[in-house]
Amino acid sequence: MTSLIVPRPAWRAGTVARVARMARGTASLVTVLVVSTFVTYGLGALGGANPAAAVLGETATPQDIARMSHEFGLDRPFLVQYVTWLGDAVTGHLGRSWFTQLPVADSVVQGLKVDLSITVLAVALAVLIGGGAGLGAAVSDGGRFDRAVTAVCAVASTVPAFVFGIGLVVLFAVTIPLFPSGGYVPLDQDPVQWLRLIILPGVALSFDAAADIARQLRTSLVGALRQNYVTGAVVRGLSARRVLFRHALRNAAGPAITVVGLHVPRLIGGAVVTETVFALPGLGQLTREAALKHDVPVIQGALLVTIVIVLIANLAVNMVVARLHPGSSR
Amino acid sequence: MSVSLRGAWRLPSVRLSLAVLAVVVALAVFGDWLSPLDPVAQNPAERLRGPSGGHLLGTDYLGRDVLSRLISGTGASVLGTLEAVGAGLVLGAVPGLVSVFFGRVYEWVAMRVADALLTLPFIIFAIAVAGVLGNGPHQAMLAIGVLLAPVFFRVTRASAIEFTRAQYVEAAELLGASRTRVVRTHVLGKVLPTIAVTTAGAAAASLLVVSSLSFLGIGVAPPAPTWGGVLASDLGFLHQQPLAPLAPALLIMITVGALNALADAVRDTTGVRADAVV
Repeated sequence: MTSLIVPRPAWRAGTVARVARMARGTASLVTVLVVSTFVTYGLGALGGANPAAAVLGETATPQDIARMSHEFGLDRPFLVQYVTWLGDAVTGHLGRSWFTQLPVADSVVQGLKVDLSITVLAVALAVLIGGGAGLGAAVSDGGRFDRAVTAVCAVASTVPAFVFGIGLVVLFAVTIPLFPSGGYVPLDQDPVQWLRLIILPGVALSFDAAADIARQLRTSLVGALRQNYVTGAVVRGLSARRVLFRHALRNAAGPAITVVGLHVPRLIGGAVVTETVFALPGLGQLTREAALKHDVPVIQGALLVTIVIVLIANLAVNMVVARLHPGSSR
Repeated sequence: MSVSLRGAWRLPSVRLSLAVLAVVVALAVFGDWLSPLDPVAQNPAERLRGPSGGHLLGTDYLGRDVLSRLISGTGASVLGTLEAVGAGLVLGAVPGLVSVFFGRVYEWVAMRVADALLTLPFIIFAIAVAGVLGNGPHQAMLAIGVLLAPVFFRVTRASAIEFTRAQYVEAAELLGASRTRVVRTHVLGKVLPTIAVTTAGAAAASLLVVSSLSFLGIGVAPPAPTWGGVLASDLGFLHQQPLAPLAPALLIMITVGALNALADAVRDTTGVRADAVV
């Protein structure tokens, strides 16, 4: 049978579509970044907090307020302030703290190292544990292991990360003293102690994401294993392992990977609370202390950095999904 | 109320969840009368005691009765959750429903704003809002509501558009019904189960966030008890009282579990495809 449809030059259509997709993606990304940074910067202005009032309190004279407003550039129009702030941020400058006068970027980077340590560990653990549990549950579909995973996932989604953290401290630091109950040492100072200190927070943080990954992977893998191409592969005599990993998993992994991306904001938020349980000097402590003192530049800097991390993580997830399924990217 | 929501009522899991939530709401409303002892009265002679006849759940580091603190702290947790979900519902579901009237430019802008808000982590944003606008009980909760709004917006809009494309809507329009009438009589009732599922899920998520925030001391005035606050005061004394966090942790877990079970049950009986709330 001959096709009546005249084939379009494939390379041209592909390239045009790819460029259009990239342009659309970039436009979306830039808009999202502008809106979220505008919210972040606008929040500071909305509060009407002033460095002199925040630092000197009741004793601030109108002259003090005018002087410090000028010093921090707050006497300029709002849009000028926002654009300057964003421009500085692109070059790695986030202003100075109203209180300590220290560059915000330095404090944020300090805190970020702690949070990235536990968040990266948590993502790795969540993918390993959640992926393994989801895979096993889908293979045993309806069996004992499947039901056990479903039950554990249902319970895990009701527990906040910090409650897990407290539980882990009680179990593995107080009852069986395997790990220190809190504190932090930089990786380049003492790698072994660093690992010992981030294990419990990392595990505490990973649970929620692991449960979601397991649930999602189970659902999509069970669906994939019922597809005709799986039956076809089995009929052609391919090994069960090959069918599972090369055929079904490749098609089912997309939604689970998307779940990892959706979890990144929650993981960062959870890291902030987990820090408190384990007395880690992270971004959350920085933001909380800044919030209690009304140190607006620090708050803005911390929020901006979180937004950038979330966007990078989303981008990475989209790229992985697009690689797995060349067809899924519209 | 739509027929499909009534179907969910017959499930035992729904009745159990609603019973749990009714108890929690009762504790929230009548907490001050129900708590056996004064939740803020300190008793230095009876610090860090285990459970006993006088103090069913023991005492904290200032000798305050833990059971009374949990009961009278329910109000703050429930109110915070309701505030956050209510704000999200008004700011998200209403524009989502109305958005079916508007064109593609509106859609693109609204979606980008929703995407932008979804990049902000709940807890850090709530801390930031409390830092800038004041550490009162409402600022942080309304901040969570603002971040819940895009979730409601997307879900409501997707569902509303789906039903607006139905043939009976086309028929109603051909008969001369106005867009407002179509949305009110044909779309709203169909979208309601989706909104219900999202609301239950959002309530579970906000309760977790509200507990986390009160654990951090955001949005609470110190002597007043909260669920998260009880956990925070246990934290420094885990060596003396390793089992103390159990009661507040279970309280949070059971309430969140009831909300999740409710969301799942409504989703299963109505067949709506609302994604879990981030």
